[in-house]
Amino acid sequence: MNNNFVELKNISKVFPNIVANDNVSIDVKNGEIYAILGENGAGKSTLMSVLFGLYEPSAGSIHIKGEEVKITSPLDANRLHIGMVHQHFKLVDNQSIAENIILGIEPITKKFGLFPKINIKKAEEDVALLSKKYHLEVNPTDLIKDVSVSTRQRVEILKMLYRDAQLLIFDEPTAVLTPQEIESLLQIIKSLRDSGKTIIIITHKLDEIKKIADRCAILRKGKLIDVLDVETTTTKQMSSLMVGHDISLQIKKEDNAYGEDVLRVENISAKNSDRVQTLNNISFKIRSGEILAVAGVSGNGQVELADAITGLLDITEGQIYLSAKEINKLDIRERIEEGIAYIPEDRHNVGLLLDFTLAENLCLKQYYQEPYCSDKGVLNFEEFHKTSDQLIKNFDIRCGEDGYNTVVRSMSGGNQQKAIIAREIHADSKLVIFVQPTRGLDVGAIEIIHKRIAKLRNDGKAILLISLELDEVMSLADTILVIYNGEVQTIRDAKELSKEKVGEYMMGVHTHAK
Amino acid sequence: MLNKKNIYKRSFASFCGPGKHQLLRISFFCLFLSLVTGAILLLLLGKNPFVAYTSLLQGSGILPKLRYPGRKSQLTDFFNLLNYTVPMIFASLSVAVALKCGLFNICVSGIMVLSGFMATVLVGYSDITSIVAKILVLLIGVGVGALVGALIGWLKYRFNMNEVVVAIMLNYIISYVVSFFINTQLADPVTRQSVEINQNARLTLVDVEMFGLRINITTVFVLALIVVFLIKFLLDKTRFGFELKAVGVNKNASRYCGIKVGKTLVKTMIISGALAGLAGVTYYLGSYASIQPRVVPQLGFDAIAVALLGNMNPIGCLFASGLIMIFESGTAYLSSRLGVLREIAALIISILLLFSASSGYFKILGNKFKLELGENGGRNE
Repeated sequence: MNNNFVELKNISKVFPNIVANDNVSIDVKNGEIYAILGENGAGKSTLMSVLFGLYEPSAGSIHIKGEEVKITSPLDANRLHIGMVHQHFKLVDNQSIAENIILGIEPITKKFGLFPKINIKKAEEDVALLSKKYHLEVNPTDLIKDVSVSTRQRVEILKMLYRDAQLLIFDEPTAVLTPQEIESLLQIIKSLRDSGKTIIIITHKLDEIKKIADRCAILRKGKLIDVLDVETTTTKQMSSLMVGHDISLQIKKEDNAYGEDVLRVENISAKNSDRVQTLNNISFKIRSGEILAVAGVSGNGQVELADAITGLLDITEGQIYLSAKEINKLDIRERIEEGIAYIPEDRHNVGLLLDFTLAENLCLKQYYQEPYCSDKGVLNFEEFHKTSDQLIKNFDIRCGEDGYNTVVRSMSGGNQQKAIIAREIHADSKLVIFVQPTRGLDVGAIEIIHKRIAKLRNDGKAILLISLELDEVMSLADTILVIYNGEVQTIRDAKELSKEKVGEYMMGVHTHAK
Repeated sequence: MLNKKNIYKRSFASFCGPGKHQLLRISFFCLFLSLVTGAILLLLLGKNPFVAYTSLLQGSGILPKLRYPGRKSQLTDFFNLLNYTVPMIFASLSVAVALKCGLFNICVSGIMVLSGFMATVLVGYSDITSIVAKILVLLIGVGVGALVGALIGWLKYRFNMNEVVVAIMLNYIISYVVSFFINTQLADPVTRQSVEINQNARLTLVDVEMFGLRINITTVFVLALIVVFLIKFLLDKTRFGFELKAVGVNKNASRYCGIKVGKTLVKTMIISGALAGLAGVTYYLGSYASIQPRVVPQLGFDAIAVALLGNMNPIGCLFASGLIMIFESGTAYLSSRLGVLREIAALIISILLLFSASSGYFKILGNKFKLELGENGGRNE
């Protein structure tokens, strides 16, 4: 018997018009950490979905411990001791941690020997035991909605362990965590390996691979490029293999003097739709030619801040000025006309009308006025098409053969994001708000977007960049604002702050010291 | 075996799969399915389905009958068909416009009763000149419908009340209030319905002598056609139509780009209500001339399925209405000719409406099969 836990042999997965995996063969040894590296759309997630039973491969075979198996559903995967933590957690918000973990395989007792009943006591004890054994601290009775993102991730890991998984798959596990949390997650992954589990980790963060992985497979455009021994390879080599050419994520920024104040926010507070105070007495200003980056752990009021400035969320106190004009009483469209462009976090539910065509989406902010619409209210689609052609060319938006008539839903995430950015930049606004502009995009697309942001800054726009990616904040920001619990922790020149320091502020470490 | 299954899948995918006019093709598929199901039912009853279907067409004036009584011909039947189709066109448009904006207007029946009643009371028994009376009737229909629509839209916008619940309650309220007045003030002692309106206000000209025939001519069919194209223009080419559809697919994104979602909802309900009002007056002061108390017209509910069969497209609604009404008005001839109960035709209509309500499922299925086949093709070739 060989030492491989899982072997994927010549796996291909073909979707209409696209080959997601092309003849990929990898083998993962018992008890190693195996990283799968690739740009977005390289086929990493598809490959793992094949292994986890979410997709059936078009060709090829899967072998577990030397035996060929067919995995047609996640249930099969569970039976074969394969577990997966998805990028977006699959948890029930209003159930307790223990309930989430046992979901689907609940321990049952019979009351009076007749009526089946979930033995929640036993479940909680089991979970507590498991969490102690693997040093994954959780309180089994807490509700999911009350716990932090990193705790949720621990719950997902426990869920796999509870099902006695031997092979653990992590899909982009660090995307939503702070540097400190990432550090501790990497420790957890290491200790899981040391206790005999086999681990596959999907990521595009090279330094994490360098830190924990034993071997690393690189995928590009569905093909397996190479399998590397991590210890003897540099991150630079990995990245050029991944992208196919050398790239630099270092942004060149000219030192330019800031101009006048464009956005001035004074003491604003706001409540979200659940009437929870999400913004508390926030003040800052952005000058033209300045990138102000807001750093913070997800859910600390960043989205609400952007919504408050653009008018999607009503503020309860304070004033917002755009070029010295008070705008907090204006409605959303009036603020757009005053000169605010907004690239929202949720491009599917907010930024785009997915069932509309590309042309309609590219003109979403101007469709109602001349020349797109006559004063009698009749639309002029010629103009839609003209603008669209121009934007598609200038921003290299890849749509199908239907051109501007492509339905946006059928486009890739990167191109959808390009479409939004094209539309917002085209408006030539004084203030551009970016929220998570590169989430889920590959390195190539990130590079393009970062350059766009830098260019906007150099052109004298004021930019509010809200991002959960600390690297993005550090590389782009002129000024960094750290937000925690809806309050400003610090606003400082980016040069004065180290990544670690920002991480501390993000955790609220300095709240009480102040 | 697997191959055979593939053939079914392939033919279904090529007929209902993605591509040009997918929705139209699916509608035809629904029609085909229901005709086949209806044929099976008829065969079980020992009747010839072919004869049954031709007699439906003959009864509705599309095909000539074997013989006609005096002063009647195919033309009479056909004009009757138009007469009964007009309210359905308006009603299905009303549903379609609301659906495009993500609203489910099931108050069409209620609005029809109220607008029909208001027009009956205000104009139906007066002696105003015919042409003025008819225009007044139409205006009252539009006005009353728009008001009720505005009420539903405003309740949703202001208090976030579910428009379906509001509509159901309004149906009851309107039905009972109107029947109270009819029963106490307007009831005809013989028919127990409201007293028939005067001919000058009726939108259908009854028993017009023409070519030696007596024909019921609806004066509003042309109006219905114009409205169909107006609504199509509104939805496809105007700023408001754009906003209406945007709100229908995604309220968050609509708000984000500056559309006033609440206002759009209210305006849409006003239009939808006005169309339902037109359906009401053309029904109660056109196809018929009196109101039956405590009954809301079934037509208002059938209109939902007709709108779905027509894919919420105004032109589609026009043809779907025509189709359903062919079934409805051919029923009498079918039952007398084959000796089956009238209900058999109602059954076939219901089956058609059922299938058309599942058109969304056929669409998903078609897309899925296409995907699977495309994949296999990729592997084999």
